[in-house]
Amino acid sequence: MRFRGLMALAVLTALVAAPAALAQDTAEDARRHVEFLADDALGGRGTGTEGAAEAARYLIAQLEALGARPLPGADGFRIPFEFTAGVRDAGSRMAGLRHNWDEAESIQALAFSEDGEVSGAQVVFAGYGITPPESADYPYDSYATLDVTDKIVVILEGYPQDADDDARRVLSNFADVRFKAFLARTKGALGILVVSGPLSQGDGAVRAPRAGMAGAGAGIMAASVSRAVASQLFELAGHDLAASQAELDTGNPHAAGYDLGVELTLETKLNRDRREGYNVVGHLPAAAPAGAAKPYVFLGAHYDHLGHGEFGGSLAGASQAGEIHNGADDNASGVAAVLLAGARLAAAERQRHVVLGFWSGEEIGIVGSNAFLTDGALPAREIAGYLNFDMVGRSRDNKLSIQGVGSSESWRGLIERSNFPVGFDLTLTEDPNLPTDSTAFNLAEVPSIAFFTGSHVDYHKPTDDAESINYDDLARVAELGALVAGRVANGDAPEFVAFQSEVRGAGRGGSQVFTGTIPDYAADITGLLLGGVIEGGPAEEAGLQGGDVIVNFGGVEVGDIYDYMFALESAKIGEPLEVTFERDGETMTVTLTPRARE
Amino acid sequence: MLPRRMTLLALLAACLIAPAPSSAQQDDGYDESSFMSRSRRITFDGMRAGEGYFSPDGAQMVLQSEREPGNPFYQIYLMDMATGDSTLVSPGMGKTTCAFIRPGTGEIQFASTHHDPLTQELADDEYRVRNTGEERRYAWDYDPEMEIYVTDPGSNEFTRLTDARGYDAEASYSPDGEWIVFASNRNAYNRELSAEETRLLEVDQSYFIDLFLMRADGSEVRQLTETPGYDGGPFFFPDGSRIIWRRFDEAGLIADVWSMRPDGSDQRQLTDFGAMSWAPYVHPSGEYILFASNKLGFTNFEVFMVDVEGTKEPVQITHTDRFDGLPVPTPDGERIVWTSQRHGDENGQLYMADWNHDAAMAALAAAPARVANSES
Repeated sequence: MRFRGLMALAVLTALVAAPAALAQDTAEDARRHVEFLADDALGGRGTGTEGAAEAARYLIAQLEALGARPLPGADGFRIPFEFTAGVRDAGSRMAGLRHNWDEAESIQALAFSEDGEVSGAQVVFAGYGITPPESADYPYDSYATLDVTDKIVVILEGYPQDADDDARRVLSNFADVRFKAFLARTKGALGILVVSGPLSQGDGAVRAPRAGMAGAGAGIMAASVSRAVASQLFELAGHDLAASQAELDTGNPHAAGYDLGVELTLETKLNRDRREGYNVVGHLPAAAPAGAAKPYVFLGAHYDHLGHGEFGGSLAGASQAGEIHNGADDNASGVAAVLLAGARLAAAERQRHVVLGFWSGEEIGIVGSNAFLTDGALPAREIAGYLNFDMVGRSRDNKLSIQGVGSSESWRGLIERSNFPVGFDLTLTEDPNLPTDSTAFNLAEVPSIAFFTGSHVDYHKPTDDAESINYDDLARVAELGALVAGRVANGDAPEFVAFQSEVRGAGRGGSQVFTGTIPDYAADITGLLLGGVIEGGPAEEAGLQGGDVIVNFGGVEVGDIYDYMFALESAKIGEPLEVTFERDGETMTVTLTPRARE
Repeated sequence: MLPRRMTLLALLAACLIAPAPSSAQQDDGYDESSFMSRSRRITFDGMRAGEGYFSPDGAQMVLQSEREPGNPFYQIYLMDMATGDSTLVSPGMGKTTCAFIRPGTGEIQFASTHHDPLTQELADDEYRVRNTGEERRYAWDYDPEMEIYVTDPGSNEFTRLTDARGYDAEASYSPDGEWIVFASNRNAYNRELSAEETRLLEVDQSYFIDLFLMRADGSEVRQLTETPGYDGGPFFFPDGSRIIWRRFDEAGLIADVWSMRPDGSDQRQLTDFGAMSWAPYVHPSGEYILFASNKLGFTNFEVFMVDVEGTKEPVQITHTDRFDGLPVPTPDGERIVWTSQRHGDENGQLYMADWNHDAAMAALAAAPARVANSES
């Protein structure tokens, strides 16, 4: 599963014995798949590595054994895609006012920047560079009084720190630098310079491009400049950046930016290390295709993981850094579930073709499945439904979550019937916008659900190993998946519903506050159950631990995960706040000091 | 119509009175895992579901659920216990409740209002109330249009078994399939009421509900109970020798589980919590009765069990906040289905767990003698 700050879960106790009726061989098959994929020999299956190639060869052999065939028009089971494995600045610079800034500590292109050069462009300061969309219903517009067409825009990182809670909660949702660049481009700017303001946390050093944010260019030249360079530029133009930030930090929507009255030359250059990864996709043809629209039902799981921690968001502590991240639960378990479900479906009658897809590039930003849908190897409009399996190997107490049932009205009925003989204690959640591959399908308007047994203390760590997998219940997840897919294969295509995610707390990269809590997403209680705390993070320092139930965070009552995200967005970096929680029936309060997210 | 036992929840919400005397928590060393394992929710389709009852072979379960588009009330569904497939067996419109499968024939009886000319108007009114929060135009809890029907599943033909004015519902078959025991307040509609009775009927239609017996074809109707206050929710013992039901006091606040012979004689009180104890069902072993009570908190119903003679103090089964009630064991006695709100919203859904009969027998054997809370 792709890392997202508020993703993760549960450390529940006691394993439940498997029902005797379960065929032992399927659990043993699951173990065989997981133990192969999560072996040290595969080196953590980083996208584009030899370990991932070895995993792909294994999957192809399994598909052939099931009698699967490549997709129509495909050369084989291996479907390649390009991805950016690394990115570094290749000599970006800026010049003007008889100065030339070209050192790496002064300016570097952002990872999503276009390469390019512009000479003698006017420079405009646009404050925090935030204009919430109309749907946010909040009157704040950094560009209200500015014309930035064919100009270079200078903006501050983050959002007004001293604004009232409501303002910060809204504005933090739109503070992601990539979103700001997108906004500047739509306003007609040619380039954007981003700086951590003199009044902000941190040392104000220039930001080096990070591969995690890379990808295609954003259609605008974008660079990070150091605080020192930005302050110097403002001073040369006769302005005071710190004073301007102070005015903006109150959140006053009428604190306007201004034309700096100077011209600059800006050149941005990046070296992108482009490599090739592979999805592995095959299909089990229907005996007698329905011939109707949407002749495919799709089961998918990503097979890539974090390598030695360099491919995505490792949570390894200092003592484990650089070790192989075997990813047994994330996501050898999901791969095994798809293979087991495929074996069941291969033997069953089906009026739709069953597609089995194994994604790479998930941990570096859902790259593989996105590329698959973009490249049109199989048009999304031909897919009746998509079932995703990501982290399905750690069921406890007979529990399983199925997420995204809000993507079609049909899912609840299909799941109710299918689960009846399998007997999981299910939790269904509506929102299909999830940090995993099903989101790519949902965005392509394919009804999509995601099977998930919850996060745990080994999530994204080298300790996510094969011996911690609950193989009996993993086989039951596959059985349930096969039953749901079988019903879709032989019934009416579920009708897609465009689900509106909660705006509250949905900001990606917006909230800069870091607390080091790992919420239990699957818990169904009042309050927020902590699945764990991040080593050395503010929560651990405050004395919180896994199993604690937070009921009040900084004065905000916490009834569920959304309340918690609401509370997080009102928290301020460096400002202590009180956290009230329940542990073993007792209510306690500690003081936690949020830090800036790194 | 609210389901036969969920009606009580509506009453609870209406009368915000202090809870009956209760201890905070039973401390007998048992928890849910003592008697139940692999608990899981089994209904997800539709906004609410409840009251699951089994065919004698356990292959089918009949239940009520609100899941028909355009009808904001319960309808009756038959679920295949092997596949989980469920099919509509009631007319799809109006209110229905309290279904039961007839042993021997597989026919299904249930109570329904679909013949009421006001059916569409009532549905529209219900949606309007839900969307706007406005007052209901029709406020009765015990719809006098509720009548008992029988159908052969899949036939879409419905034979009406009762025709007396008044609420007729809460019916179940004898084990041989020849008799139906049910609840009715027909005696409030078939005669001139006194001024006091008229006032009572306005505030509490359930006050007049008593138990009746009739043949499976609706003939030979006879009255079994006559006490003032609500008698309801009757089921036969597995051997047909007795009937179990719940009896409210006149004020409608305290209920207890009773049993009697099928002719109405030998009425005995089996529980005495001084609380609302209801929804009894006899385990197929014939050894004990499962029921629900709010002994531990006014809106926190939990499932309990007690020996069939009611000589022991009941043992608590469920230990989870929110409503747990309407317990029904499968005919083989190895699983239990009940209605719960433990998933966290206001609407009940059906749950199932594996049932440990041996542990239940041991706990009952170890239970102390019953302590009287009120006069019998």
